[in-house]
Amino acid sequence: MTIEVKNISKSYGASPVLRNIDLKINSGELVSLLGPSGSGKTTLLRIIAGIEEADRGSGAVVFDGEDVSDVDLGRRGIGFVFQSYALFKHLSVFENIAFGLRAKPRRNRPTEAQIKEKVQSLLELIQLSSFAQRYPSQLSGGQRQRVALARALAVEPRVLLLDEPFGALDATVRRELRSWLRHLHDTIHVTTIFVTHDQEEALEVSDRVAVMGNGRIEQFASPQEVYENPANEFVFKFLGNYNVFHGRSGAGALVRPHDIAIFRTSDGDRPDAAQTAVVAHIGFGGPVVKIELESDDKNRVDVELTAQAYHDLKLQRGEKVWFAARRAHSDFPPEYAI
Amino acid sequence: MAGAITARAPISIGSKRAVATESVLARRVLITITVVFLTIFVLVPLINVFNQAFSKGFEGYWSVFFPPQPPDDATLTFSQKRRLAEGAAQAARTWSSIGLTVAVAAVVLPLNIIFGLAAAWATTKFNFRGRALLTALIDLPFSVSPVVAGLVFVLLLGRNGILGPWATQLVWPDPFSLHWVGFENGVWPLAFGRTHTGVIFTPLAIVLATIFVTFPFVARSLTPLMENQGTDEELAALSLGASGWRTFFKITLPNVKWALLYGVILCLARAFGEFGAVSVVSGHIDVNDTMPLRIEKLWNEYNNQAAFTVASVLAFVAVITLVAKSVVEWKAARDAERTN
Ligand SMILES: Nc1ncnc2c1ncn2[C@@H]1O[C@H](COP(=O)(O)OP(=O)(O)O)[C@@H](O)[C@H]1O
Ligand SMILES: [Mg+2]
Repeated sequence: MTIEVKNISKSYGASPVLRNIDLKINSGELVSLLGPSGSGKTTLLRIIAGIEEADRGSGAVVFDGEDVSDVDLGRRGIGFVFQSYALFKHLSVFENIAFGLRAKPRRNRPTEAQIKEKVQSLLELIQLSSFAQRYPSQLSGGQRQRVALARALAVEPRVLLLDEPFGALDATVRRELRSWLRHLHDTIHVTTIFVTHDQEEALEVSDRVAVMGNGRIEQFASPQEVYENPANEFVFKFLGNYNVFHGRSGAGALVRPHDIAIFRTSDGDRPDAAQTAVVAHIGFGGPVVKIELESDDKNRVDVELTAQAYHDLKLQRGEKVWFAARRAHSDFPPEYAI
Repeated sequence: MAGAITARAPISIGSKRAVATESVLARRVLITITVVFLTIFVLVPLINVFNQAFSKGFEGYWSVFFPPQPPDDATLTFSQKRRLAEGAAQAARTWSSIGLTVAVAAVVLPLNIIFGLAAAWATTKFNFRGRALLTALIDLPFSVSPVVAGLVFVLLLGRNGILGPWATQLVWPDPFSLHWVGFENGVWPLAFGRTHTGVIFTPLAIVLATIFVTFPFVARSLTPLMENQGTDEELAALSLGASGWRTFFKITLPNVKWALLYGVILCLARAFGEFGAVSVVSGHIDVNDTMPLRIEKLWNEYNNQAAFTVASVLAFVAVITLVAKSVVEWKAARDAERTN
């Protein structure tokens, strides 16, 4: 199902939270809303779900060409997964997942046998078949998250909306669930929007990323596009670490740590623009090695090398080296005044 | 020196009781003060209630409720007959007070549950102007003297009150006189056997006064829990297509059931025991006597043993309340642990 958000605005009292949001999501797409905390991601997701209402007269939420702005939360055909999971504490895993099926009006409510079969197949999907009779409190964070997802999927929603689904989990479980979600999406192809403030997560999982800042969508494009061709300075800065180099004109050039090359002092093939610096710190991070340089004008320069490149260079702390930017971003349009 | 201070006492993390590292002496003094205080102000009076109630033996206790009946063929003197009739009348009044107390509680409790749930829901799950004021108003009965509350009702609904002209003419059916009359008069087979006129100095006033003094209990015991739980579970249920009613009965209510029961127990205890507000609006008419009012009357008639006997019933209810309260607290704590 396609989802269109047309010119949606939302304010709480006098403070605007969303400003004229436009977004068009294709059927079967997995889109992430990525932005810093407080940028309005949750609010937008809740407006799409129908939990929150947009400002009067501001715009519409359209599902498959049909305006659903005035349709109740329960009738939009959405599956919502809350950041807090919001599992029903007093119900077993089985009953949690069955809740939506049992709540259907009598005439299209499945029989007990059908409910059982459906829940069983969902339990298999989330790999928790033997946990049916457990209570939410007896599950780990990652398991709760999967139950919340299964509960939302039970009613076969047209759209799946996930609010920071992995926000409260530790790094390993996060990474595991992330790829699991991607696989799940490839299997069931339900249009999915998920909110996150984690750049890596958004870039890795989504078909397209909507980068949000301060109540606006700053860029909506494929992960590669937003990373390689950020639409503006905000997007560039939010998507990763960077160095600022001030040229003679005063304008700053922005350079990613991995876009800086390091040369040995003895190298003959370094570019003319290369500058000298001293290796101030070396930090190992698995496949990536983080080098901190101190340039001649006493500025700190962060560099990321692949482990291979690092080994080839045989860098030592305190050593004098040359460095140069392979790629700089300096042509962003000036930030618009509000 | 005798090991008074243990500087290196291990602090057990996660234990509910902090390990006191104060001197043993201080601990003993504090415990002694507490025990002495409770003994003087709670235990001794409680024992005294039962002691006085049984001062004429078990038979004397029993006769307050079931006065002795002479055999049918007994020949009695005039004064014996008078004493028997007097005893029967007193017992009838005592039973009437018990009946009224239970009836008032039975009317007040469901109203309080509905009001308490609505108030707790409104003040915790919605954000609106005047929310703080509403929360403060719910607590009002805690800070107003019950006698003043009773007087307010009299001034409002009494003969010269603002609503007096309307209230004194009000005719209302006695819900406990509802009985089966069959279908002879139409489709509705039930009818009221009794009506009352007016509000003040009738059982309706007792109900109003009791509602006033008890309504914060349910709301107050629900509020912290509901605030804590937020609205996510309800929204999840609604997003799954559940109706508002289903969401309420399947999700909200189970989540607050122990807190609700706790509020119900407190509310009942207060409804049974309320004296001040009820006394003012009862008009000291016998049919308006609740148990506390009945106790006062017996006491004023120098019928101490009977007064204490009725009081012992209330004391017994209080002890049961205490046990029930502890059980509910324990269950609620266990549930809270399970959900974390
Ligand atoms: N119910 C509310 N009342 C007032 N302000 C709110 C409410 N919900 C969110 N906000 C404000 O709206 C802004 C965006 O919030 P949110 O959508 O939760 O951001 P995000 O999910 O991106 O962190 C924040 O500044 C937040 O304080
Ligand atoms: Mg959020």
